[in-house]
Order: sequence, then C-alpha cells, then structure tokens
Amino acid sequence: MPRRVALVGVGLTKTANRRKDITYPELTFEAVNNALSFTHLKPEDIDAVVYGSMDPFDGLSCPEKWNVDSCASAGVLNKPLMKISTGGTTGGSTALAGYYNVASGLFDVVLAVASQRVGETIDAQQVLNTCLEPCYERPFGFGAIMIAAMQATSHMHYYGTTEEDLARVAVQNHEHALNNPHAHLRFKLTIEEALKTRMISWPLKLADCCPSSDGACALIFASEEKAEKITSTPAWIKGAGQITDGYYLGDRTWYHEWDTLATLARRVYKSAKIYNPFKEIDVAEVYTAFSIQQILEYEALGFCEKGEGGKLLASGATSMNGSLPVCPSGSVICTNPIGASGLIRVGEAALQVMGKAEGRQVPNVKLALAHAWGATIGFHTLMILSKEKP
Amino acid sequence: MAISRQAFAQKEEECPESKKLRCPIFTPCDGEAKAMSKRVAIVGIGQTKHEGSKPRQIYDEVVFEATKRALEDVGLDRGDIDTVVVSGWDVNDGRTISDMYVAPASGGYFKDSSKTAEEGIFALAYAYLRIASGLFDTALVTGHGHAESPFELISNKVFDPFFVRPLGISSITTLALQANAYVNKYGITEEQAARVVVKNRGNGVNNPYAHLRREVSQRGALNSKVVSLPLRALDCPPQSVGAVALVLASEDVIKKIAVSKNIAWVTGIGWATHTYHMDAADLTHVSALEKAAEVAYKMAGVRDPIKEIDVAEVHDITSYHELMAYEALGIAKPGQGGKVIDSGATDIGGELPVNPSGGVLCTNLHSGSGLLRAAEAALQVMGRAEKRQVPGVKRALAHGISAPAGAIAASHAVIVLEKE
Amino acid sequence: MNTEELIEVQERWNIPYRHSAGRFASRFLIALRDEKKVYGVRCPRCKRVLVPPRPFCERCFVQCTEWVGVSDKGTLEGFTISYQAYVGLPTPPYASGLIKLDGADTALMHFVGGVDLSDPQKAKKAVKIGMRVEAVWKEERLGHILDIEHFRPVQK
Repeated sequence: MPRRVALVGVGLTKTANRRKDITYPELTFEAVNNALSFTHLKPEDIDAVVYGSMDPFDGLSCPEKWNVDSCASAGVLNKPLMKISTGGTTGGSTALAGYYNVASGLFDVVLAVASQRVGETIDAQQVLNTCLEPCYERPFGFGAIMIAAMQATSHMHYYGTTEEDLARVAVQNHEHALNNPHAHLRFKLTIEEALKTRMISWPLKLADCCPSSDGACALIFASEEKAEKITSTPAWIKGAGQITDGYYLGDRTWYHEWDTLATLARRVYKSAKIYNPFKEIDVAEVYTAFSIQQILEYEALGFCEKGEGGKLLASGATSMNGSLPVCPSGSVICTNPIGASGLIRVGEAALQVMGKAEGRQVPNVKLALAHAWGATIGFHTLMILSKEKP
Repeated sequence: MAISRQAFAQKEEECPESKKLRCPIFTPCDGEAKAMSKRVAIVGIGQTKHEGSKPRQIYDEVVFEATKRALEDVGLDRGDIDTVVVSGWDVNDGRTISDMYVAPASGGYFKDSSKTAEEGIFALAYAYLRIASGLFDTALVTGHGHAESPFELISNKVFDPFFVRPLGISSITTLALQANAYVNKYGITEEQAARVVVKNRGNGVNNPYAHLRREVSQRGALNSKVVSLPLRALDCPPQSVGAVALVLASEDVIKKIAVSKNIAWVTGIGWATHTYHMDAADLTHVSALEKAAEVAYKMAGVRDPIKEIDVAEVHDITSYHELMAYEALGIAKPGQGGKVIDSGATDIGGELPVNPSGGVLCTNLHSGSGLLRAAEAALQVMGRAEKRQVPGVKRALAHGISAPAGAIAASHAVIVLEKE
Repeated sequence: MNTEELIEVQERWNIPYRHSAGRFASRFLIALRDEKKVYGVRCPRCKRVLVPPRPFCERCFVQCTEWVGVSDKGTLEGFTISYQAYVGLPTPPYASGLIKLDGADTALMHFVGGVDLSDPQKAKKAVKIGMRVEAVWKEERLGHILDIEHFRPVQK
C-alpha cells in the first residue's frame, strides 16, 4: 500500500519574455524562496530535490549545475538531487518524480523545481528541430508549431473545426490570464483580433501560439504526517501517471485525435476512481501551447465526444462560470517557460484545491486535474489532486 | 450541451499493443497508510560490447540491443515491464529530448516512462523509488554512451556564460584542479595514480565487454602525455560507445519470476550533490560521495566497509579520483588513498578488490558508466562475472558520478547490493 | 556607478556532431542515391512495413531484417504550411507533411512542393489531406533524404 502524499507548497515567479533583471540562479531562487515562504519551511527541512529543465533552451547544458544552490542550498548541504528532463512534459515529470520520492518512503519533504529561460534562446524552433532524427526528419523545418499546425489541419479536415474555433480558445485563455499575476501575456483579445494576427504555420496564427517565456516554479511534496503539520490545506495526490509514444512522427498519422493522452487518461481515471470526468473534476489545468490543443485535450480527457471540442468551448462550459473551468491560469498559450510549464500546471491545480488561487479561484474545488504534453506530442503526464484525503 | 457517455473509454482495439501491457495501476490507500518501502532487486542484466565507435548501428539500436539482452537474461517480455527510466544528456547526444528515441528503445512504448538527465545510475535510483513506493513492480533502466560529439566543448556549456565559461573551463580542467589539490594536500604521487591505471587496465583484459582490453605498464602510464596537470592521458578514461540495461523487480514479483542465482538485492542506496562554486568547498574532500555512502551504508547496516564489502565498482573518472573515492567510501582514511593502492588491498585477490571489470578507465559510456558499475557489481553478487569474478561475493558496492561539468556540482550515487 | 545598466552576453553555439546512420538509414539513403527507390523494413511480428526503415519495431520490440521496396507515390496524411521564418530553418513559405507511400504502413516526412504557397487561403485549397502525391527526384543525388526534392500532387 503506497504512502499518502500531498502537495503543501507552491512557488511561482514573475514571468516575461526576458527577465533581464536577474540571472538564471536568481530566477530559480525566486521560485524556491516563494515555495519555502508559502510553507514556512527552511532549506534544512528539505530532504531531497528534483530539478526539471529542458536542455538546451537556455543556452546551457545541464542548468541544474549552475542552479544547484538555488534549490534550497542543495549543493552546499550535499542534498540528494535528481534532474528530470522529458521535453514539454518535463514539469509534469518533475512533479511525478517529487511524488515518487515521497511515496517510496525514503524521503518526507521533497522540493520539485523547474525553471527555464526560453527567452535567452533567439529562436526556440531551431532547438526543437534538433529533437528530430538527423538522418530522416530534421531537414523539413519541423518544430513544435508545425506539429501543432498538423493537428489543426487534421482536426479541421476530419471534424470541420474552424479558424474561429481556434481563435475562441486563444480568447478564453487570454481572458483567464488577465486574472493571473504570474501570466506572461496579459491583454484582452477578441476573436476578430485573433483572426487578424499574421499566419505562422497554416492554420495557426500568432494568436494561436504560445510565447517564449522566462519563468520558474517550485512545489513542495510531503508525506501524510509532515503534510498535516505543515498546512491545513494540503492538496492530496489521488492519481498520477505518464505515457511515452513511439518516436516516428509518420507512425501516427491520426493527428485529429490524441490517443496517447486518451490512453493515459483512461489509466489514471481508473486508478483515481473517476468515472465521469466532466462531472467529477472541478477544474482542469491542461497544457495548451497552441489553441487547437485545448480542443483535442477536451476530447482525449473525456470532457466531450471526439470532434466536439470546439462545441464544448463555444457552450461556455469550460469558462470561469462554466461547469468545468479549464485553465483559469490562462495556460501555456499565455505563459511558456517550457520545462517549467508542466510544473506550473500542477502548482495551479494545487492552488485551486487549496483555495488559494486568489483572483483566478474557482469556487469549491474538490478535485483538480493537471496535464502536460511533450516531445513531438507523444509524451503526456497527468496528476489528479484532491481536497479530501484519498 | 449534452455530454453523452465517456468519450475517453476508447475500445482497446484501437491500441492493440496496450492489451499486452500491464498498466501500472495507482492504488489509493484506504485505511492505514503506514507503508514500508518495498524491497527491490536487480534481476536482469544486459550490456553491449563497448567500443570506440559503432558505425553499423544508429543511435537507439545500441540501447535496444542492451535492453533485449537484459529482458532475455531474466526471461521476460517487454509487456512484463511496468515502468521504464532512461538517462542521458541531450546536448552530448545531439538530440533534444533524447528519450524520444531512447525510451522506446528501452521498451518504453506506450508505457509509464521517464528520464533522469543524469548519469544512468540515477535512472536506477529513480526506478528504485518507483518500485519502493509499491506503485510499480518491474522496471527497465538503461544508460548509454556515444562518441558523436565533442564532450569537453559541451561540458564548457554547462558553466555560466559570465564568469566561468569564457575561461574555457570544462570537465577535464575541473577534474585536474581537484586532483592537483588532492596531490598537494596529501602528497599523492604520480606512481600511485599510475598504479590505479595499471590495476584497472589489467583487470579490463578479463572483461569481454570492455572497450580497452590491453594491459599497460607502470612506465607506460607514467610516460603518457600530460593532458591537464597532473592528469596524463592514461589517467583519463576513453570515450566509449555502448549501452547497459537492468531489469529491476519488487519482492512480490521476484517470487514469481526469478531464479535464485539471478538476484542482487538493493539493500542500500544514497545520492548527494556538490555545490557549483569551486571556492565554496574543499576540493580534496568529496563530501557528496561521503554523504551518499553514509546514507547507503546506514540503510544496508554497513559499519566497516573494508571488512563487510566484498567487491566495489567505483566510478574512476580519473585514476586520482579512484583514490579519492577510497577515502570518501571509508576504504581508506583521509589522505591514505595512495597507501591503500600501494598495499594491493584493492587488487584482485586483495581484501577489497575495486573495479575487477576494469572500471571507467577501460570503458567510459558518458552517462552510462555509473549504471555499468551497478551492472558489474550485480554480476559479482550473482556470481556470474566469469573471468573477472571475485570469489564468494555476498555484498558489493557500486558508485556512479553524474558529472557533465566534471568535479563541479557533481552528483554521486552509492548502491549496496547483496545476495540475501 | 550606473546600476541600472544591464549587460547581455551574446553567444552562438557551434558544436560539431557526427551521427552514425547505421546499417538501416545508410542502406535507405544509398538506395535513394543509386536506385531512385524508397525502401522500408517489415516487422516480423506485426508485419507492418515501416518507412523510414529502422533496426527494430518499437511496439513489438523485435529486430527487423526484411527489406521491402515501396512506391514513390503515396497519400498525404497530414501537413502544414509555414509562413514564419525561423533561425536556421528553411525559408518560408514551405509545406511539410507526412506521406504514406503505397506499400508502406507508416508515413515519411517530407516537403510538399509544386504548389503556389504564397497565399495561405489559396494554398489550403491546393494542399489537402488525402491527396495523391509523387516524389520529384533530384538530378544530382548525394545519399541524403533531400535526394527527393519534394512530393508534388500527382499530375492527372
């Protein structure tokens, strides 16, 4: 029988395209320090650290080395530290590693940190292109945007989704981000404005795409006994998992559905005893880097039938006043420090369960879902957080 | 808006492979949740022949070969594995998100898999955590090395762009700085370092998988070119291409699958990291390794490592670092590393043989050398190390370093493996 | 001392790599060069013909050994057209997509050409999922994936 584990602390940073005011270790320090103050813990109280980033978006290889002492003085105190990196899911994988560190029984209080300075790379797509096989797939100019654009062309082709549907995703998330002081892009956007932005990769326009952000996030996981001493509002982990698809982009030509995520959701829902996700989940923080993805996420997570994601959004069901608000934070489309974005999703879901999400709080959250995708859309992580002890 | 039945409940037919897979099921606790960590063992080992290059194999095929061997070693199928943890440094591999290739090559297709962007021994540590939690029963762990990139240039990119990187510092310079500080403090001689080289290269001859399998003489080691003072060419490891894979299992599963000679129980495990600031720590004192050993020894109940450990595989990232490791692991008193090698205690036939496989000085998989130490230590415990077997091994130690920046902010892991 | 001034250190990485193509990609690329022919491998377990060829099937976890020639004509299964310029990536506009060649079970990534891409609204009508495409071979071939210049709509 595994140990009960809860999230007890969340530390977010200010995000921007460039945090020119600080160096990388200071950015990490900002997140860790916020998580420590959130819990009133000291660096000595941290038993182990997991660190996540996606190399080399910051113009650094292995940034955990330069950042090591920003992680609750892990270097000078000779703490156990483990670096996790799984593309866009890095943050989600880092949260999972933090969870398993505690669940194993080896550690009681574990710090999970993820930081990234995407703004320091002049063009992130060139870095992303290097994840493709150099002999076969690298020369075709593919980065994350083109893969997402392929999802969009397929969804439009098979289900009749429109450019307006995509714009609506961007508009809703921008509206949510206005309530989130930690968001990078915070401006009001209308459907007309979104449709008028310049074409990036057909059919995705600038408004359909995430920015490059500098930002970090730190979370503190604790065992049952410690969690209840640290806080009166722990967010308990009720279900978790990740999944890895095969490498070749051409092996899965069904870009109009996200079967990898659907399979993971089925596994995690089963373990968390969730039978009707749309009814049972109170808020979802999904990883929407590109507008089309939120539509696919609704469908894969079982919030609606296949092909009906656009309709679900238009119905208002996923807005702040809807029955299942999705991404009160404004999601990745408004803030994307890549390796940290998945951890931010978990942190935002935890804040919702704790009732501490301030201006973006959804009332009475009992069950929250956090998601991240990565690689050439073949990696996913999920975590279910609950107010009640599982 | 009408939401009909659960759209996510796809028919299993849509993904025929997942039928074979045993999905890791997260079991929420009911009632008492005072869980004990599950016992974990290494039950399958696979490695490739390690070489200077493998032009006939593309990147991930090397990992596939080791994984296949590890599965065959324990008689399991990919479908029997619950979780996969891979390792590696993307910039070294020249592939961003390298686990896109390495995880499927390690059997991770459609599975719950993750990557420690560390030396492979940390993937073993992570898989240990996953199984110990009781949430997974079997795991596959891989580490690999490639020689497709300039390691020192990339190592330079680990350092901050303001203070250290412009100075051209890289892994080898930090290791040399550390070795020099050690030499100066304790009067370690070049001959003592050369003796480590002679011992490990001699042992490598007995290891059919090793990359360098030629003995070197004390004179040969002492006459090799100075690379970075005090390190000579033969004090430093080669760059090798190859892979290693381990199958880990929980006690519950072991009862069903493994034959007794194929078990190496993980009875102690610990890891710790160093600071980034070279001036903030005593370079001659590998405090992170000391800490990792302390944790692992406590867990395994080891009080006197020389007497209680039968064989050790340490990460001899240079010959001097093997001597420093003796001290941090409690095999030698502070400053006495040189005396221990001179005494022959760590030779085959000595009181505590170190690196009967030939160590990293014979085979250096960047990001796989530490995991290879664990594999070799496990083979010793299982009594399957063939010509390099130390007789009567009941307890073995494996040490790995995650050191993309050499000595700076290096992370050390120590694992104690036992027969019973 | 002006404490408001913030310095930015500029850097460009130039790291040389040599990637071993191994037996499988080598044979595939050599066939492009010498035979103007596309090859895949058949998985002995699931029997899928995998293009581009690879040493093992990720799903079945078995070594692949049987080589299968496939057509240089196929169906466009997915695509996008890029209009934004990125550092180090091709000059826009360019269409890239996944082409399932006749006789293959998986798709090959490549460029889609022979279509006017300058206006997205017109281009989206010219490039469609499900359309038939064929390889346009280069005269001078070097044993590279770009020995096929691009795939163009099949001329009727």
